[in-house]
Amino acid sequence: MGPGILDVLFEYWPIFLKGAIGTLRYAFIAVSLGSLLGALIALMHLSKSKILSSIASLYVNVLRGTPLLVQMYIAYFFLPIAVPVLNNVDKEVYVLIALTMNSSAYVSEIIRGGINSVDPGQNEAARSLGLSASHTMTKIILPQAIKNILPSLANEYIAMIKETSMAGTFMLYELMYTRTLLANKYLSWQPLFIIAGIYLIMTLVLTSLVKLLEKRFSVSD
Amino acid sequence: MTDKKIPLIETKNLKKNFGDLEVLKGISETIYKGEVICIIGPSGGGKSTFLRCLNMLEEPTEGEVYFEGEKLDAKSTDIDRHRQKIGMVFQQFNVFPHLKVIDNITLAPTLEKKIPEKEAKETAYKLLEQVGLSDKAEEYPRKLSGGQKQRLAIVRAMAMEPDVMLFDEPTSALDPEMVKGVLEVIKKLADSGMTCVIVTHEMGFAREVSDRILFIDEGVIAEEGTPEEFFTNPKNPRTKEFLSQVL
Ligand SMILES: Nc1ncnc2c1ncn2[C@@H]1O[C@H](COP(=O)(O)OP(=O)(O)OP(=O)(O)O)[C@@H](O)[C@H]1O
Ligand SMILES: [Mg+2]
Repeated sequence: MGPGILDVLFEYWPIFLKGAIGTLRYAFIAVSLGSLLGALIALMHLSKSKILSSIASLYVNVLRGTPLLVQMYIAYFFLPIAVPVLNNVDKEVYVLIALTMNSSAYVSEIIRGGINSVDPGQNEAARSLGLSASHTMTKIILPQAIKNILPSLANEYIAMIKETSMAGTFMLYELMYTRTLLANKYLSWQPLFIIAGIYLIMTLVLTSLVKLLEKRFSVSD
Repeated sequence: MTDKKIPLIETKNLKKNFGDLEVLKGISETIYKGEVICIIGPSGGGKSTFLRCLNMLEEPTEGEVYFEGEKLDAKSTDIDRHRQKIGMVFQQFNVFPHLKVIDNITLAPTLEKKIPEKEAKETAYKLLEQVGLSDKAEEYPRKLSGGQKQRLAIVRAMAMEPDVMLFDEPTSALDPEMVKGVLEVIKKLADSGMTCVIVTHEMGFAREVSDRILFIDEGVIAEEGTPEEFFTNPKNPRTKEFLSQVL
């Protein structure tokens, strides 16, 4: 059996802490950059141009229809070949590109859904007042859509915290990577429970924050 | 109604299809400045579609719409500029729930007509007073009753100083006790000389306020005339049948 879970936690807590911070950080970067990219994809998807909207739809379908791990492998091994300038950057960047693109596909659907959830009568009322299409979007539609978008974005962040566990496969220092580090010290099972516990705490805490957020938004309804 | 008839809105052979469904089958009609027109007719006849073609919320399949002499459905037309002069009031109010009552009214004038905030607010307060909503200016619309929301929607449109107001069943979504207040506001507006096109099922109101009644049935104007002619001596059998059902 070897040492107990608590013994391992007390001895190696700095490693787990560093891993947890790595996880939160990768998830944050992926969802933040993914949101910017995702907003762009959503606008393309909603645009009147058939070409733009089919490109966006293809992008979303491919990224949501293939496993993230496969996308990471492709980014890791194929990107340096396809884009030689990327040869000199940290390997971390490839994995982050995969995470960001993957996240952007989900975020774009969140944004699109948020926009579509606004009563079409709002658009008609705004346009019939003579508001331009862009003013209608920024002053009428988005402020109402954001109520649905923000909680879902937070949920996407929570999902991404779990997804980043795959980045350990590529030696990125996140929570799951601590397993690899400690396996070298003949600790096979204890770290797994600690890792699972930390993931659980992070997601539970964030989930309850999202609940609070949702409550605040529904009050202003 | 004024003596010299200045055309404000003109449709020529206006047709609208939704897929295979022919909803408007060629409507040619002129609405003159200062006229108050009520549109009545059976459900699904195309009343809303006709009204929505007048400000291009629906794009005509065929035919033309002119507003103040300019063709609305031309590629070169800046439709936003025209819509600023065509107020519209919807059955479902469509007030902006995330904006305070006062901001519902000032948004379009400040954004699109570049009216200074202060001036826009003054106008808005005057309008709110006229419809008895002064004390609600700083509230959010969720605090308003249906009738109050609809009065807000009316003054929101009025704040753009439109040349015509379109109403699509403005009282159909209201509780019965709210109907009167909203109709009074519309009547006051009509009496003040505003050109109004009103789709309504309120026959008494139509008879009282309108200069002319259009009866739209199955995508055409099946009959038109003064309220007097229309209600006492309808010519078209379809009109007679409709009136016998609603009166
Ligand atoms: N966006 C749309 N897509 C498809 N069909 C539509 C659309 N809008 C209206 N229609 C159809 O067009 C026909 C006419 O509709 P319209 O709303 O103009 O009738 P209406 O005279 O206003 O009826 P009501 O008194 O019930 O409001 C109906 O059969 C309706 O189902
Ligand atoms: Mg209708």
